[in-house]
Amino acid sequence: MDVPHPEPAPVGLSRRSLLRRGLVGGALLAAGGAGFLALRGGASVPLPADGLLVFSPAQFAVLDAVARRMVRPRTGWPTVDQVGVARAADRIAAMVEPSAQKELRQLLGLFENGLAGFLFGGRTRPFTRLDGEEQDRVLAEWRDSRVAVRRTGYAALRTLVLSGYYQSPSVWPAVGYPGPPGIFADAASQPEWRGGSEPRPDGNGVWHGERLP
Amino acid sequence: MSAGRILTGRDVSVDTTVSCDVAVVGSGAGGSVLAERLTARGLRVVMLEEGGYWTRHSFDGREDHSYPRLYQEMGNRATDDQSVLILQGRSVGGGTTVNWCTSFRTPRRVLDHWRDHHGVKGLTEEALIPHWEVIEKRLHIAEWPLERMNENNRVLWDGCGKLGYSRGLIRRNVNNCANLGYCGLGCPLDAKMSMLVTLIPDAVEKGMTVHANASVRRLLIENRRVTGVEAQILDPETDRPTGIRLTVKARTVAVCGGAINSPALLLRSGLDGDGNVGKRFFIHPVVLTSALMPEPVVPWSGAPQSAYSHHFIERGTGKLGFFLEVPPTMPLIAASVFPGFGEQHQALMEQLPYTQTTIALCHDGLLPEDVGGTVKLRDPAERRVSIEYPLRPFHFEAFRAACKEMARIQFAAGAREVRSFHARPVRIQRAADVDAALDAAPWEAGRVRVATAHLMGGCAMGSDPRSSVVDSTLRYHGLDNLFVVDGSVFPTSLGVNPQETIYGVARWASQFVAAATA
Repeated sequence: MDVPHPEPAPVGLSRRSLLRRGLVGGALLAAGGAGFLALRGGASVPLPADGLLVFSPAQFAVLDAVARRMVRPRTGWPTVDQVGVARAADRIAAMVEPSAQKELRQLLGLFENGLAGFLFGGRTRPFTRLDGEEQDRVLAEWRDSRVAVRRTGYAALRTLVLSGYYQSPSVWPAVGYPGPPGIFADAASQPEWRGGSEPRPDGNGVWHGERLP
Repeated sequence: MSAGRILTGRDVSVDTTVSCDVAVVGSGAGGSVLAERLTARGLRVVMLEEGGYWTRHSFDGREDHSYPRLYQEMGNRATDDQSVLILQGRSVGGGTTVNWCTSFRTPRRVLDHWRDHHGVKGLTEEALIPHWEVIEKRLHIAEWPLERMNENNRVLWDGCGKLGYSRGLIRRNVNNCANLGYCGLGCPLDAKMSMLVTLIPDAVEKGMTVHANASVRRLLIENRRVTGVEAQILDPETDRPTGIRLTVKARTVAVCGGAINSPALLLRSGLDGDGNVGKRFFIHPVVLTSALMPEPVVPWSGAPQSAYSHHFIERGTGKLGFFLEVPPTMPLIAASVFPGFGEQHQALMEQLPYTQTTIALCHDGLLPEDVGGTVKLRDPAERRVSIEYPLRPFHFEAFRAACKEMARIQFAAGAREVRSFHARPVRIQRAADVDAALDAAPWEAGRVRVATAHLMGGCAMGSDPRSSVVDSTLRYHGLDNLFVVDGSVFPTSLGVNPQETIYGVARWASQFVAAATA
């Protein structure tokens, strides 16, 4: 995957317009959002039982495919399916601003998109229809692209997917991390409540559906 | 005056208007020191913080919980092009709730530079020393003893010692610290003397009211006077606007949101400082190298920062100086910054307990041609702002030189392999190969990981309104009762970790804010 990949100049997309704004530039996103070749005939994968919050099934399939290349099966490591990486990435994306969610959706569309793949790399098949080695090559193309906005897109996608995996405590043993010291859970270390018989206020109480201690 | 309270979004269920003497926007290093001083003078202060109110009761040491609750944009803040990762605090206490406790006074040469090149008046070492002395006592700032230094920092310490590079022990704001290493996720013991557990409670006891989950959207301005601020109340559970408005009427307003949010608030309020607001944004851009050590360094454990080197802080004309420190490394943040993907990335992650990382922080803003980055508004409906920090040839010259020195230090300390943080990682097995390997690496935005946790500038102080935003009393040029009191007023970066400079400058500036409110 470390072979450099010369690439043709993207047709009709000037570097200036690509860099214009946002997570990924306007013109490139227009290509990603266009119906033409976009998300047509991509692979589909089983969806989470509790549904998706941000991404479409097609976008979810792209996340899932990227996750399988970002984290390979490895002895002693939980699998992408055990962690539910693409679902976790969807949940992480649910916490960011709506405008950033829109950019992530466009990025996934662009990544999958045969038109953009053709413009940049000469491929016409959707990312999810490529075999593993070809997918690695596409990831490396984005990472090493001379078009800055593709490197930006690679960084954003990589962070989202890796966060979806490494947020899980089930990964801690694989990387030799014992987790936070017990003092965090030790009631004796918690602040003394001086409110007498009044119930202790629950601080921020609930955060994104999760009950806090 | 009776004690005030710390309120959250849950406590404001209808549109509310309150009045006070001074509205302080932001609860970090600048806002808290200022608010405590004003409260001590008997002024009625209302502090507004857009982040939540989290205390050691809720800190659990988990990265996946802590970044969303305690950091700007859930720890994912970055420049628009994603080339620079920005770690910045966002909760009651601001950055002080999650920083790594490193405390340096401002170098004299930086204060001299501000006087000589930016027309800053009166902000001398002599003026700051009395303030630093009080702060250092209150926050228990003291050198962390060498015998308690963790293995992670010892690599930098030993490597510098072997190579004859200057090195020092870091002073930390801690009291009865248990050397856990979780400062960045909120201290579970209240041992860190952050604003959350020191000056904010001090001021609340004297009558200050704090509104957490209150995001100030604009300053209210009438007839060239600021009359208050208008905030959206955020849902403490989801962090989304509730639609409820909090209006704080004030005789004086102090903007203390830090180097990104302060300029953004001014811009949203129609104040662009003749085009200077959001300019001269400096970040101590950070590059990293990691070392595979023969023995475990357990890089998440122990006081995060205790050794430093300022050996390369001045490198001669035309070059950015840099200083060296050590970051704690936990799995989630490591996964996002360790390079590569697939098996290559997993192999690096598997070695986490043996991996020591060193960082070089570049002293930006001193070169005449270094104008820094820019903070701008995006679409007005968006809460995210546009952050640009163009990386220029002088940055890459410093990045390359810094990575070489860090690699040499790590090898001197016994590293078996040193890795760069390029998107395609460079792996080096011998000290003799350092120069060639790093000279061959690509030094370009988006090809090498750059990060920052030190946000400075954006509302630069100076005597000339044509080139600065606030004057030498931190008053906005042209508005008598509007002040900016935080790291955004620095006209350059500092060359040291910023918290103690912000404390000192805010305490010094409190006299001007008080005088304007009299």
